[in-house]
Amino acid sequence: MADVRDIMELERPPTPEITRETILGDKSKKRSSAGQKVPKRPEGMHREVFALLYNDNKDAPPLFPSDTIDVPSYTDIEYQQHLKCEGWTKEETDHLMDLAHKFDLRFIIMADRYDTEKFPKRSVEDIKERYYKICGVLAKLNGEKRIYTYDADHERRRKEQLKKIIEEEQFLLGELKKIEARKKERERKTQDLQKLISQADNQNETPRKTDKKLPKKKIANPSRPSRIDTNHILQAVESAGIKFPDYKNSGVSLRSQRMKLPANVGQKKSKGIEQILQEMGLELNPTPTEDICQHFNELRSDMVLLMELKTALGTCEYELQSLRHQYEALNPGKTLAIPPQLLSNAETETKVSTGEIIDVVGSPETPSNT
Amino acid sequence: MSLPTDFGPDSGGRMKGVCIVKPIVYGNVARYFGKKREEDGHTHQWTVYVKPYNNEDMSAYVKKVHFKLHESYANQNRIVVKPPYEISETGWGNLKLLLKYIFMILMKDQKYQFQPGFYNSVTMYHILKLFHSGGTQDIGMEQGKGLVSESYDEIVFQDPTQLMHHLLTNTKQLTLGRWEHNTNFEERKEKTLKSIVDAKQKIRGEIAALKNKLKLAKETISTFKEEIAKSQDNQFVM
Repeated sequence: MADVRDIMELERPPTPEITRETILGDKSKKRSSAGQKVPKRPEGMHREVFALLYNDNKDAPPLFPSDTIDVPSYTDIEYQQHLKCEGWTKEETDHLMDLAHKFDLRFIIMADRYDTEKFPKRSVEDIKERYYKICGVLAKLNGEKRIYTYDADHERRRKEQLKKIIEEEQFLLGELKKIEARKKERERKTQDLQKLISQADNQNETPRKTDKKLPKKKIANPSRPSRIDTNHILQAVESAGIKFPDYKNSGVSLRSQRMKLPANVGQKKSKGIEQILQEMGLELNPTPTEDICQHFNELRSDMVLLMELKTALGTCEYELQSLRHQYEALNPGKTLAIPPQLLSNAETETKVSTGEIIDVVGSPETPSNT
Repeated sequence: MSLPTDFGPDSGGRMKGVCIVKPIVYGNVARYFGKKREEDGHTHQWTVYVKPYNNEDMSAYVKKVHFKLHESYANQNRIVVKPPYEISETGWGNLKLLLKYIFMILMKDQKYQFQPGFYNSVTMYHILKLFHSGGTQDIGMEQGKGLVSESYDEIVFQDPTQLMHHLLTNTKQLTLGRWEHNTNFEERKEKTLKSIVDAKQKIRGEIAALKNKLKLAKETISTFKEEIAKSQDNQFVM
């Protein structure tokens, strides 16, 4: 920067001279001003606590006006006569009184600084209870009428309640998070569903077309099955089911190879297909002719779509139920009517349909297994 | 075999868009001796085979058939170069030991023989069957014939070379007599196709029904949501 100024022949701002006086003067000024404000660190207070308390507000009055609090004292005789208590020794009581004096009845600090090596661990309530009891007894001895009593049990219960409230709050927060996550999941599924429905729409239209086309083509050129292959592949691409690979490679292959499920069909799906095939009484590996191959592949593709639709419907039902609960919670006494077709129909429907299928397969014209 | 001279190994390359299908039948027949044989304890005689579905001489386009037998047999790799493509052996079946067989049919398609990615062979697996397992698959247990377990498949030649095309389309009859199979595949094909088409119809119907239900569900969900939004508004007003 300075070099640039030199080159541009600009006037350089005068550098403030650094002398011993400037440094010392600043420092001494700071020190004096600080020295006036910062109160003395009370004896026994930790440096960190002190810094925390006095850092921001230097004008704050000293927290421990040690002259205002009068910690009562007692003599040995007084202690022997009136202050004996089960669970407390004289030493511990002395220690307690010492702490009370030291920290000016900051009971929380007292509990923190309590000598747990010599004496058992005491809670804030224990300390308070003991302290105020002593105060009360001594005041009575001095002939005072109004005695401050400390209800330790009440205090303990109050704190317990507080703790429970906090726990509940945290639990509720956790639940809220879960609910929101579920809500997001449902929204995602709804979008998937939308996709599925549109796919199903497309898919239901295409078979009609191909069904019409296929026989014609068969008659036109039965020796050229390659075109039907592409047809099938196109359809497979359009449907949401399985995408069977294209067997357009030059060379020799086996027809049965084309009925193999592609590797991207998961274990769950293939198991589901197997199950449906068995339920319908169909072979897992039918005799591989061209027609059978194509229909069999389409059939399994449809099965996958069917399974996906079923899951989607399940999700919808769940959502309906939860929405209804939500509504009932908002409007006590009122409810929303879920259409009867959608009420727990998944099971009954499938049962009916499989029953029909078994019926069909079992009829004399269709052999179950050849 | 006499070939026209213009079909050299490199002539013409592949014939695009041409697809030739050769159906085949493969499997095994097994016959029980009736008792355990003294020397080796074998109980069955069996024959594994590959044969054309139609009456034709496969040796025109098949170079060799490679049978890979179970490891327990001496020289488990057997190669047959001319029909009938079959291997006969004896074995013990009392352990219900199922033996696996692999057939590899190598084609007389020299051009791409050593190039990876161009297949000139097909491989099939067959599990030797010596016993009736109770399933309906075993047919032809007639006296003398023994047990038959066979499968149908089709070898698809996509875009064959000119040479291969020539070989595939000019085959001779294997026998002059009737060519019959142990299994009535035509009937089986018909039945299978029918049942599959029926099943497809059924599934399509279910899909349509489910789709309608889903639509209804979607609509109901949206109305529910509206109701909830309404009642929430009411609450805020109150």
